[in-house]
Amino acid sequence: MSYYLKFAQNFPKAFMTKLPLFNKGFQNAVLSLALKTIKLRYKNSFLGIFWSMLNPLIFLTILIIVFKQINHIEHFALYALTGLIFWNFISASILQVLTSFIDNASILKSINLHPFCFPLSAMVAAVFNLMLTLLPFFVIMFFLGYEMNWSFLAFFPFTIITAIFVLGLGMFMGTVNVFFRDIQLLWTTIIPAFFYFTPIAYTPELLNENQRFLLKLNPFYYFVESYHDIFYRSVFPSFENFGMSLFIALLSITIGYAAFNKYRKGFISNI
Amino acid sequence: MNSVEPMIRLTNVDICFYVQENGFVSMKDFLLHPGKYKLLQKSFVLKDVNLQINKGESFALLGKNGSGKSTLLRALSGIITPDKGTIELFGAVAPLLGLGVGLEHELTGIENIKLSCALMGMTKAEIKLRLPEIISFSELGEAINWQVKRYSTGMMSRLSFSIAIIKQPEILLIDEVLSVGDLGFQQKCMKKVMEIKNNGATIIFVSHNFEEVSNMCTRAALVNDGTVEFVGSVKEVGERYNHLFDN
Repeated sequence: MSYYLKFAQNFPKAFMTKLPLFNKGFQNAVLSLALKTIKLRYKNSFLGIFWSMLNPLIFLTILIIVFKQINHIEHFALYALTGLIFWNFISASILQVLTSFIDNASILKSINLHPFCFPLSAMVAAVFNLMLTLLPFFVIMFFLGYEMNWSFLAFFPFTIITAIFVLGLGMFMGTVNVFFRDIQLLWTTIIPAFFYFTPIAYTPELLNENQRFLLKLNPFYYFVESYHDIFYRSVFPSFENFGMSLFIALLSITIGYAAFNKYRKGFISNI
Repeated sequence: MNSVEPMIRLTNVDICFYVQENGFVSMKDFLLHPGKYKLLQKSFVLKDVNLQINKGESFALLGKNGSGKSTLLRALSGIITPDKGTIELFGAVAPLLGLGVGLEHELTGIENIKLSCALMGMTKAEIKLRLPEIISFSELGEAINWQVKRYSTGMMSRLSFSIAIIKQPEILLIDEVLSVGDLGFQQKCMKKVMEIKNNGATIIFVSHNFEEVSNMCTRAALVNDGTVEFVGSVKEVGERYNHLFDN
């Protein structure tokens, strides 16, 4: 146990001193890689950005048709759409961070660049992509009954917290994935199950006390519910949702960065 | 060379690869006894390397495949940190470890220059300043605006050579990459390498082609099984290198 304790004590220092986060060249490298990812995603496609919107819209149709029957709440379509947009963002960006080391294997092997650049740029690209798709989605959300107020401001800081959570979890799995490629497959297999374990197609009120307790063991619960608070209930995220999200995000980045930092010396020989 | 000034000094350098061998069984032990078991096994790639390369020298590393030459170059360029010992560098390093690496096939030549330079740690302002120089050295002309997937192999290596060389390095690491491209460009590369050398830069050349090396370098080291077996003139090292294949 003392091993973990010692580690936690040293963590903030190690995190701040060892990373070239404030180096201009490093920042430029992160942004350039992120920009490349975005460019490549939309380069040769006719519909471009609308592909990112298509998946949530298809699911939205299904949810409206099927799940509206059990969810007797006002504006269920808005509830479902909000959940879908941010669920897609979280699950897709975790996968992108997870595979970032393997995707950039050739750069990792031949250019002297801190490998933290890869997950970070994957995350930056994912956030950028979210912002891009959010603009047209807003039109639909207003149409479905979204009432914008001051609580909207919580969206930006909360998305940073979400990004930190995604970065940590993705980096942890990405590090393990370099040595055991099963992680990537495992993740893509269990993520659809998590979709139903998270209140997107249904509201938590639909469940009884015990079931809700189980639901709250799922870390994604607090993130999706916070976004529901902001965009569906038009209130600032509740103390529980926000606090737990922040706690999970910090825990995630600590564990993720620790695993990455300890095992990155093995990247070159295993990738 | 009238005065001997060190440019690179390696002292007792060990470099290991970390390999996981036991699969998920070791994962269980690892998680149940924190700090006691190691998830990754060490295997030595370079062991106790001591080497000094002087300023303005052209130095060759000769050795069989898998002897650790490329790993040594990676360590010199900072991609791998040694597990033990120290590597002292007294100048800026430009590694030419593989041409065409980091080029994104869907992007154009210019976009690739910007991307590669960014990955090499250059800021936006620096890139803007160097861009015309890189474009003119690559001699790609019109093709600089094409997507790189339409380039021939030679054109790609022109592009990456032009990018890699641009920072006027004091130490240039070359890993058997100059044998691509057409004859004209090869000569141009060689000329550029010579020019960098004449400006006082140190060049380290990895190859297992002895003839290539003997034209360029004065001193050499023989790398065998992860150790530097012998350091001397190119001729001596070349002889010993050939002996490795005698039986």
